[in-house]
Amino acid sequence: MSSTLPSHLITFLFAAVLSANATTSESFDINRYNTAGEGWFKTFHVDHTQLLQTALDSGVVSGTMEVLVTQTAAGKLALIMDQMAFHHIAQGTENGKDWMATF
Amino acid sequence: MCNSGVSLTPTINGQTFHFVVAGLYDGLFVMKDDKTSTLWNHVTGEGMYGEHAGTQMPVRNLLQMNADQAVKMDANMRVAISDRTFSLDGRRSRFKDPDRKLRPMFIETLGEDDVRRPRMDMGLGVWSENAHRYYPVATLRSHGDYILDEFDGEKILIYLDPVTSTPQGIFVAAQEVSFQDNAIVLDGGRKIVSGQLYGAHGEATPVKRPLQMFTRWYGFSLTFPNPDIFE
Repeated sequence: MSSTLPSHLITFLFAAVLSANATTSESFDINRYNTAGEGWFKTFHVDHTQLLQTALDSGVVSGTMEVLVTQTAAGKLALIMDQMAFHHIAQGTENGKDWMATF
Repeated sequence: MCNSGVSLTPTINGQTFHFVVAGLYDGLFVMKDDKTSTLWNHVTGEGMYGEHAGTQMPVRNLLQMNADQAVKMDANMRVAISDRTFSLDGRRSRFKDPDRKLRPMFIETLGEDDVRRPRMDMGLGVWSENAHRYYPVATLRSHGDYILDEFDGEKILIYLDPVTSTPQGIFVAAQEVSFQDNAIVLDGGRKIVSGQLYGAHGEATPVKRPLQMFTRWYGFSLTFPNPDIFE
């Protein structure tokens, strides 16, 4: 790994690879697929963000709240875990680059 | 239910795809895209069934921590808040209960259980192109809340975060590990605080992490069959 990369990128640098032994499309058994849950949840399409520190200062967010942190082209982004347990999917675009988080 | 989450890049052949929950498979939710209705695995990012079966979205980590830790990790951290109500307490420990039962509609989608661990056991699943390994939370606790190991040829520290008790894994070579307040102290004066590694002089040091998720055993072992288990 290059040591010239910014630390904020290295922190979130993960090989975009998948284990060769993971479940794959070849082993997918459509007979075990159940549509339960389809239409129950609403993907969070993110078009607005704010500084987390500002949200903490204003009391919108508490310090003990669990969050999920992803990396977008504009920097790190926190998602509220309690909300993601409903949405399951959040996605958006920053600086022309798509991002998505699943939970 | 499974507590598993990752970051993905939803750009397929230069186009932005939008995703919705489409049902269950292996007790995990599956997604479908708005353009082709292909079913996608939400952990591996692979198209599983349909036009894009076999297509792979890049996968990255989705780290779990609390908001105080997140802002300490990066003062410029932003937050996205939806219109969905949420608890300011925000701790979802009930979802991490090892005795929680899987509902029938989940069970009927499961593949063959790997019975080496209880289905609802929780741990840190770590994976790479060459290996996948599961570190049970119970094992971490019995080892003093941390494990020094080698994964895919690199030294790795697996630890229970002293604030949130969430297991985390970072690639770092260490001989000694101790806990001091909310910090994990390594030999050489290094520390890990809020997921950030600091050198002997307090300087922030780049952190390299394997792909990982804090998840239930069934979710990890069905997604990455026959993983190593650190016992």
